This record gives sequence, structure tokens and C-alpha cells, in this order.
Amino acid sequence: MGASISKMMNKIFGSKEMRLLMLGLDAAGKTTILYKLKLDQDVTTIPTVGFNVETVTYKNTKFNVWDVGGQDKIRPLWRHYFSGMLGRHDTVPGRVGSRTQGLIFVVDSSDASRIEEARTELARIIQDREMKDALLLVFANKQDLPGAMRPQEVSDKLQLEKIAKDHVWKVEPSCATTGEGIFEGLAWLSNNVKMPTGSK
Amino acid sequence: MEAASARMAARDRFGGFAERPTSQLQRFILNACDPQNFEPNLALNLEITDLINQKKGSAPREAAVTIVQYINHRNQNVALLALNLLDICVKNCGYPFHLQISTKEFLNELVRRFPERPPLHSSRVQSRILELIEEWRQTICLTSRHKEDLGFIRDMHRLLSYKGYIFPEVRKEDAAVLNPSDNLRSAEEMEEEEKEAQSAKLQELIRRGGPQDLQEANKLMKVMAGFDTRNKTDWRAKAAEEVGQIQQKARILEEMLQGYKAGDQLKEGDVFQEIANALQSAQPKIQKMCEEDSEDHQAVAKLLEINDSIHRTIERYKLFKKGDIEAANAIPKGTLGTSGAGVTQGANNTLNLIDFGDPEPAPAAAQSSAESTAQQAQGGNALEDDLLGLSLGGSSYGQSGSISLGGSNGSVLGLSGVSAPQSRAQPTSASQSIQDLLNANRPSQVSSPPPPQYSQQRAQQARSTPDPFAALSSPAPRQASPYQFQQSIKPQTTGPGSVDLLGVGSAVPSSNPAAQSNPSATNDDEEWTFASSVPETSKDITVNNTNVHVVFNVSRESDSTLLIKSRVSNNMALPVSGLTLQVAASKGAQLQLEPQSGVSLSPNQQNGITQNIRVNGVQPGSGTSVKMRWKSSYTMGGQTINEMGEIPSLGVL
Repeated sequence: MGASISKMMNKIFGSKEMRLLMLGLDAAGKTTILYKLKLDQDVTTIPTVGFNVETVTYKNTKFNVWDVGGQDKIRPLWRHYFSGMLGRHDTVPGRVGSRTQGLIFVVDSSDASRIEEARTELARIIQDREMKDALLLVFANKQDLPGAMRPQEVSDKLQLEKIAKDHVWKVEPSCATTGEGIFEGLAWLSNNVKMPTGSK
Repeated sequence: MEAASARMAARDRFGGFAERPTSQLQRFILNACDPQNFEPNLALNLEITDLINQKKGSAPREAAVTIVQYINHRNQNVALLALNLLDICVKNCGYPFHLQISTKEFLNELVRRFPERPPLHSSRVQSRILELIEEWRQTICLTSRHKEDLGFIRDMHRLLSYKGYIFPEVRKEDAAVLNPSDNLRSAEEMEEEEKEAQSAKLQELIRRGGPQDLQEANKLMKVMAGFDTRNKTDWRAKAAEEVGQIQQKARILEEMLQGYKAGDQLKEGDVFQEIANALQSAQPKIQKMCEEDSEDHQAVAKLLEINDSIHRTIERYKLFKKGDIEAANAIPKGTLGTSGAGVTQGANNTLNLIDFGDPEPAPAAAQSSAESTAQQAQGGNALEDDLLGLSLGGSSYGQSGSISLGGSNGSVLGLSGVSAPQSRAQPTSASQSIQDLLNANRPSQVSSPPPPQYSQQRAQQARSTPDPFAALSSPAPRQASPYQFQQSIKPQTTGPGSVDLLGVGSAVPSSNPAAQSNPSATNDDEEWTFASSVPETSKDITVNNTNVHVVFNVSRESDSTLLIKSRVSNNMALPVSGLTLQVAASKGAQLQLEPQSGVSLSPNQQNGITQNIRVNGVQPGSGTSVKMRWKSSYTMGGQTINEMGEIPSLGVL
């Protein structure tokens, strides 16, 4: 009961809670982004086997960010995170915002050779039934590297117009090591979280 | 705010249907629990279970949460309908649903309307709930593969008993469907099932989201993604084990039928029938496994072989049952279950492929000599049957054959010369070796902390068993199913590291370079060449010509005995040490090995090791039909090398 009251208070005072799932190919920079958000530090990471989860508060919104490993062996397990996260809220009907999730898809902009692979994976995720209400934020990461694709190029190569046509989406240029673009991305998620789906 | 008040309303589950169903699943459940139903709508209930099984993901949870709301409904009929639906879901939706009913939330919700103290007369709803909990406790909490995940059901049961609630009796046969079936399952099916269970568990852990749950989820992910292989199950080995159990059943039936006398009656529902039914139900499964495994011809051949032998056993049983004993005896008895390639359970409940499987001490064992030669004698009944069904030509097979079980077992374990008539001299270590054997082909997937022998034997065995199925039976052609191998090992040459002739049953010739150099065609050629010069009396067979060159000179010594003089030469410029040559002959032939002249060869030494091998029980004219299998192991340049192969015919009449 106490919890529900505090959630009500949060609603009144405008603080939100968002559950974000961060996916992407291996070595795209997901874990680096997560710990940049959490610790504001540039950490050296090793390939994630499994997942990391951290809570970050930014501009009145509590982001619960799940960073799941991107190696091809782990990718088949991603789907458990769509429905597992959704499942948390399915017993509390009536709360409008609670079902909203955000998907952060991280792309290594400097690796043009794997953008096609990234597109395939993204299409698979975003078209899952369980993800139909999710906001999609694409981080065009590693903008600091020479030859990195620009956000427009990334969105063209990912064919976002096509595969994410039922979603609210944005491509945000970012650099995880400097933190550039990351908070802008979260701000976008936070601002769009109330938007009814499909009315882009 | 409306949202919050809607939620408050939803809490009042004593009221009508507070929540509008939002999903198809919830709509179905609503309909199933509608009080307008006078009795449970079984068709709809089953449709719901299908929907849950098909949707997976969060569907089991959604269903459990929805159903339990109706269980607490004010209207008793709704509650009973919901309980019926719950029962059907538990019985049909498997582990993912079991995981949901064993959550604290669910169980607390389930008994929400129970008073602190049991009422004098519990309502129908209450007694039904108690019945279900009791049923779960007696079935899935004891027998499920994942019973450790279902602990809260036991806790709830204990709590209710403590409060004084009496649980009604459960009809065992009704609840039995909740126990895992003992039907034969293929490797793929088991793996699929395990994956599904892991998926359900991972999702539940992520949903709970507690720190411990997340930690466990991370661990589980590593297992599921294949990074953590420490506890990985080798499903093929597991399937092989299951097939082995079927073989074991066939063997038992075969033995029981042997004890059957003319006057005995086979009644309906007796042990005979039980086993025969189990065997019969396993047959389609084996056939299916053959289809699934179609790319692995070795395994298919073996499975078919097993299937045939099971079929023969069942036929025999049927004829016995009809009283037609003569016809029954006409069916070849050789079921693999009784053959040397048979599978039995060892002491530590692992596969034991080398137990030659005659529980009675072999009477013929007495004749085995106490010399260093490991004598092979054939036991009375079970073993001789192995021969039937394979016509080896000549009268040598049958009663006259003799293989000493004790001896063979001993030599397998490196205790050659032991010819005591015990048949299971060292079941533990024997089965251990088998485990090594099963593990050896997948060294990365150790199913348990490696047994001490493992590392020692692994190097050799890694080459000997490419497939656990290969270990199930002989790789000989199908009609050769009752093929019997024997081998002998010389004591002075046999260290514990070289005693893996248990590989005979599992040797797959094609996997071995040595075997490829020994196709029957070559032998036929030689037969022609030599037969003209030294007609029918002596013949050289090149057994192996790789690093070492092994030649068998075969000649007839007496009316019943062939003498093989083996000569081993070193083809390489490296010294060879610890060389042992082991041979096995088809059933009916009896091997007698004299000690090897040595175990070491200097570089390029010719005929450095010689050994006389006598094959007894080979009548004149039947020499060409004696098959032999050989295996050699030696150390060259610091590497232990194993080679093996088959001699399709001795080529001398």
C-alpha cells in the first residue's frame, strides 16, 4: 500500500520511472554507455556475458537501464528481457505510463561492415509483439572515431523508416567515452515517454 | 488518479469481475470461469493450456495471476471452475506454469480466504485447494527435474499443516500425470525441454528483479549462452543412457524368458507383460530417433540394431505367451541386451558398457588358466545367445563357446589373468571408465568433476569413441548384432593407462586411420595371392600399417584351433614403448593369447614383438568366417596412440 501511495505521489509531482533495455551488437559500447550514465566515468569494459542493470536518475525520471550482452551466443536470450520486463507490470492494469518501455539500440558507427547485421537484429527485436509500445532510441555511437557514419547515414542503413515505422524513434549521435549525446538521448526518452504510441 | 482508483477497485476481488479482460488469454479464462457454466468446459480449458504453451513468455504468469483472482471469487461456482482450470493448467503446461504456482505471491493469493484456524467444515473450495496443494507436493515437488525451484509449495503445505489444516487423500493415479514420464526421449527432445525450462526460469528471475534473482539470472544466462559449460549435460550421452535402459529391460525380459519352462503360465499384468509393454512403447521412439539422427549413420545403424533385438525379444515373449515354445526358441535370442555390447547399470548408476552382463558366474570360467594368458570362456546361457542370429558357420557357436566373464572383465580393467568367475568384479571402476568413455569425445563438456582416471585415459579414449551412441553396441553390421568381443591383455605389458579395450564395443572403424588401411578388399586380394602359393594353410594378414606394422600369420594348428603369429614392426624412426595389442574374436571363437615378446620397439625395428594367439573352437572350413577386432596402444614420441580396427576374415579355412 505504501508503495502505491508513493507511486501516486510520484505521479502528482511529475517524477517518472522508465525501464530501458539497451541492446546492440557486441562491442558497440553498451556497457560503456551504462557506466558513463551511472558513474560519469569512462570505464574499461570486458565483453558482457550476461547483463548489467543500473538505476540512473536524470531530470525527474528514474531510468532503470538493462544492458544485455551482445555476443551472438547471447542474442537469442534477448527476447526474455522484452517479456520479462513487461511481465513486471502486467498485474497492475490501469497505470498508463507503467507499460512504456524504451529500447536503446547501440550501433558502432565506425563499423560499416556490421551495420547490416545490426539492422537484422534490430528488426527482429522491434517487431516482437512484446516490444510494440516501446520507444526506440538509436545511439550512433563512437562518433569520435574517424570515418564514423553520421546519424542520418545510420538511420538510412538501418532502414528505420521501414522496420520501425510503428514506433517513435530517434537516432542520437553519441560518444560513450566523453558522454557526448548520451544524456540528450535520455532527455528525449523522458520527454517522449507520455506520448501515445504511433502518433509521431 | 483514475488509474489509482481503478487499481483499488481491482483489489476488491470479492466483487464481480472487476477487471475487464484485456488479452485473449484473459478473455478465455473469463469464459472458462463464467458461472453460467454448469460444469467445467474441458474443451475451453484445454484451449487455454494450448494458448499458454504456444505463447510462452509471460503467458503462464498472466494465466496464473488471472486464475487465482477467480479462485478467490465470491461465487463458489466461479472459484470451483477456476480451480478446475488451474488443475488442468498445472497438468498440461509443464515447468513454466509450475514455476508460477510455486511463487510466494501466487501461493499466498491461493490461500487468501483461508481463516487463521481451520473451520469445522471446510468449504468445497477450501478442500479443493488443499487437495491441489497436497497433490503438487506429492508429485512435482518430489519428481520434477527442477524440484528445487518449487520449494514454496512445500513450505505452504507445511504452514497449513502447522495451522491445523488436514489435507485430503490424493488419488495417486490421478496425480501420476504430473510425474515426468519414463518414456524414451531423444537427445533433441531432452535438450529442448531443458532449454524451455531455463527460458522460463530466466524470465521469472528477470521479472522478480531482486538482487539475488538478478545474480542467478546472470549465472543462468552464462549457462544458456554456452559460456558456462561446467554443468552442461551431454544430451546425446543422456539419450544413449536412456536407450541403454531400454536395452537393460530387453535383457531382463530375455533372461526371464530363458528361465521360462514349459509348464509356466504367463499371466496378464505380470512382470513379463509390464516389461514387454515398456519395450513396445519404446520402439516407435527408437525409430523416431533413427529419423532424427539420419545424418549420423553409425548411430542409426546401432539404433536399428537395438530396435531389431527388442523386436525379437518381444516376439519371443508373445510366442511364449501363446505357449508356442518351439517357435519361440526358433527366434534368434540374441538381443543386444544380453550381448557383450549390452548396457547395464553400474554401481554408481552410470552406464556400464563393458559389463559383459551375465549375472551368473560362468561355469566355463574354471577352465581358464591361471597363467598370464587371459582365458576367455563363455558363460552358460546369456552369452551364448548372443551368437544366435549371427551365423558364424561351423558348429563352434552355441554351447561349445566359452568366454570367461570374470577374465574378460578383469582384463578390461587391466587385471588380466583374473579369471575368477565373478562377472562384475569392479562395477564401480568399470562404470567409471565408461563415463570416461562417454566424456572423452567431448572433453569440453565434463558432466561431473572428472574422475581420477579421466585425464589418464582421456588421451587414448578421445580417439576411441566419437559418439556416445557408438558405445551402445557394436559397430558391426546389423546382422551381426549378437556379436561378441573378447580380448586379452598381457599382465606384464598392461599398465592402467593402456587398458581401454572397453573401446571394442564402441570402436568406429571409420574414425580410425588404421582401420581405413584395413578394408576387406585388401584382405581379399591378399587371400588370392597367398592362397595359391600356400593353399589354405597359412596366410599373412596385414592388420595395421601405420606407425607400426602389425602382421598376423594365420595357420591351422589343429582341427579346432587356428594359430596366429603376430609380428609387430616399427615403421618410424622413433622408439615405441608400452605397446599392447589386444584382440577380440567373434563369439564361438575362443582366444588364447601367449605373452608378447616385449612391449618396446627401437626405431625401424622389424618384427620386434611377436606373440602367439590361438583361436580355439574354429572348425575346419569355418576359418574365413571368424571375425576379429583388434586394438593397439603405444607411446611414440611422448604421445599415446591408439589404433583399432577389424579383421573381417582370417582367410584360412
